[in-house]
Amino acid sequence: MSDKQNNPNSRGFANYSTLATRRYFRSFARHSSLFTRHYFFSFAALAACLLAASVARGDGARKPTLEAIGSEVQCPCGCVAPLNQCPMLDCAEKAEMRAFIKKEIADGKDETAILQDISIRYGVQALTAPPAKGFNLAVWILPGIGLMVGLGIVIVIVRRWKGKPAMVPVPPSATHDPKVLTAVEEEMKSAGLG
Amino acid sequence: MNQVGSVGLIASLAFAAYALVAGAVGGKLRSPRITRSAERAALGFFLMVTLAVVALEYMILTNDFHNAYVAEHSNRDLLTYYKVAALWAGQEGSLLFWTWLLSIYSALVVWQNRRKNRQLMPYVISVLMGTGTFFSLLVFFVANPFQELSVVSVSGTRAFTAPDGNGLNPLLQYHSMVIHPPMLYLGYVGMVVPFAFAMAALITRQLGDNWIRTTRRWTMVPWMLLGCGILLGGNWAYAVLGWGGYWGWDPVENASLLPWLSGTAFLHSVMIQEKRGMLKVWNVALVILTFFLSIFGTFLTRSGIVSSVHAFAQSNIGPFFAVFLAIILFFSVTLLFLRLDHLKSENKLDSMVSRESGFLFNNWILLALVFAVFWGTLFPVISKAVENATVTVGAPFFNKVAIPMGLLLLLLTGAGPLLAWRKTSFQSLKRNFTLPLIVALVAGGMMFAEGVRNLYAWMTLFLSVFVLVCIVGEFWKGARTRMRTAKENFALALYNLTMRNTRRYGGYIVHIGIVLLFIGFAGQAFKTDAKGLMQEGDLLQVKNYMLRCDGLTTGDNPNYEYTRALITVTKNGEAFTSMHPEKRFYKASQQPTSYVAIHPTLSEDVYVVLAGLDPDTGKAIIQVFINPLVTWVWIGGVVTLLGTLLAMVPSRVEREMAGMRQAQELAVQAGDGF
Repeated sequence: MSDKQNNPNSRGFANYSTLATRRYFRSFARHSSLFTRHYFFSFAALAACLLAASVARGDGARKPTLEAIGSEVQCPCGCVAPLNQCPMLDCAEKAEMRAFIKKEIADGKDETAILQDISIRYGVQALTAPPAKGFNLAVWILPGIGLMVGLGIVIVIVRRWKGKPAMVPVPPSATHDPKVLTAVEEEMKSAGLG
Repeated sequence: MNQVGSVGLIASLAFAAYALVAGAVGGKLRSPRITRSAERAALGFFLMVTLAVVALEYMILTNDFHNAYVAEHSNRDLLTYYKVAALWAGQEGSLLFWTWLLSIYSALVVWQNRRKNRQLMPYVISVLMGTGTFFSLLVFFVANPFQELSVVSVSGTRAFTAPDGNGLNPLLQYHSMVIHPPMLYLGYVGMVVPFAFAMAALITRQLGDNWIRTTRRWTMVPWMLLGCGILLGGNWAYAVLGWGGYWGWDPVENASLLPWLSGTAFLHSVMIQEKRGMLKVWNVALVILTFFLSIFGTFLTRSGIVSSVHAFAQSNIGPFFAVFLAIILFFSVTLLFLRLDHLKSENKLDSMVSRESGFLFNNWILLALVFAVFWGTLFPVISKAVENATVTVGAPFFNKVAIPMGLLLLLLTGAGPLLAWRKTSFQSLKRNFTLPLIVALVAGGMMFAEGVRNLYAWMTLFLSVFVLVCIVGEFWKGARTRMRTAKENFALALYNLTMRNTRRYGGYIVHIGIVLLFIGFAGQAFKTDAKGLMQEGDLLQVKNYMLRCDGLTTGDNPNYEYTRALITVTKNGEAFTSMHPEKRFYKASQQPTSYVAIHPTLSEDVYVVLAGLDPDTGKAIIQVFINPLVTWVWIGGVVTLLGTLLAMVPSRVEREMAGMRQAQELAVQAGDGF
């Protein structure tokens, strides 16, 4: 027998912690409405966090590189591709714009300032994404609003569904008994129906 | 042959218009005779469009430069399979090709439903042929490929036969371009079939499960082909455009993604209707949306309303498509509103933690993504109309918006299938998700220790591991249970498990394919590149690869002249491979293009472009990209394709049930006989 097994305190604590965990999970599961709300809002919160993270990944503070800025500006040659994706060979406009960006980087400007200078020199259409101001703000905020409106619709649908009686009465079943549920799941899995 | 093609076109228009009217009349009068006549007209439509296609292909293959389309898009020295592809290289040919695919789908629908869905068929034919009439009108009157080449002089206009054609656009002379447009078109056009059944079900008020069962496979086929088309397009962009990537959020690329996303939403939500009789309105709305987006995709590709690298396919037919889109929307939405009373849900939601809610979340994210991509794609047009300002909405916008949504979808790819219908117990959640979460956390920790610091890449790989363990666990648990109960070995248990429910396990394989695609996408975060001027003996280093130029050679063949760089690559000081990127100059079109050299491996691709020759030094301008994990994108595509094919195979249970239904019907018929 190991020291750990001989130590009654250690075993007691382990038992206690296991019991406490079980109790916690049982009560959590029992309060199913609380749990479902947690599930629902966790998912919504995760969605919001991901979107916030995407917005928070600001570009202004990044050290500018020709590659990074080349993906954020349009090649002025008319190929309608970002600067670093311009498929034209020996493209003079591409070379000129790259030289301009290199000079801006050498002058120690940050990415935001360089993009501003590019929009002044070549026009706002030279940016592969419009700045988030004025009417152009709409392009940035509407997808988020769309996502939230969609979530609202899902919530309304779910509430309606939950409040509505089933058209076909569901016979009482043993599905709430975990043992029966497990046996049924296994049986179905073996039949490939799961 | 121009006359033969024109006769085919006008006859096809007549057949389509007749079938459109006869279908509607046959349905209204409940006349089997008129309905059969409409079906025969649909077959006639197929034969006549086929005649037109054969006539055009014949002229292309025999270098008949008397025809303006052939002179514009082909030339004598073009390889035969590129000549075949010239059919869809230009506006007129590709619209004819669209019409032909529609006629094939229509003929298949008529043949498959010759004994079933008889109440729906008149209207199905009517809708299919309504679309056929629109495209026939367009091909005959607006973009006719059977025009004679002519020259205008002071004495008037006279026919002219060119000695040779202008040739196929060099960017299209790549093997995946031969199958990319047909796949994409098969996907776009195929969405008309579920739409036709949905409309027929609404008109006839036959809104039970029947139309859903019939259209599920008819949606899976075009969904799969559209997915293949999108990936082949990515493969083309990767190998031909020479910027080292496969997806640039170009408006035309976005247009192909939109119906695929809404189709994905439908393929998931349809299961709720089949199992629980819920989401009926939603499913019809998704079918309408998917068809609308398919036509919108064709409109965007053809109209030129937004700037795109697919400029070779643009023209002035936009207004015709706009009118057709408005008709589709008005007709279908009105019908949907008129039938709302017949589309009531049969069940209630038992729990938020259930398969149903998983599908709802999946649909929510997919539709939000559709909206975001649609909005971003059209914003330049809206900005021009509202503010008269030209703006570009490109990759930075789409990446910011789509990546978080994509990650949520990836999470649902693994979590959704593990939720039970109606209600998932907490014990079941704990049992199903503990191991995948632990494995994913360990893998995530290892990736962080290995230096993965890009948030999105890390999350993608973390979620990919989580989803893979979830799905592999499902196969494992199912097979283990079979091994215990049916006394089978693991391989046999796995096979029987899959074949007894192909739809479910095929779906899981599709999910594995999607995970592999995401793993490939994550590789973009670790892309590196280098550029240099090289001549014989020069070295260029990128990451742990060293490239040595062994010289430049030039050559000539009937189609193009080329300059080829001979590059030897070593990795960590050891011989790795030799690569030969080319710069080509196509004689007929007088256009240059680059032929990228790619050495793919499972971990990363070495991608070398000969961008040109430096005018001052005469040295080759070589650009090298090291693109990690790109191969997984193509592997993911193949796995998704295989999974979809498997899901379409009728499972043993389905076959047994079909057999039972047939036996029952025979027994009833026998009873009637007595």
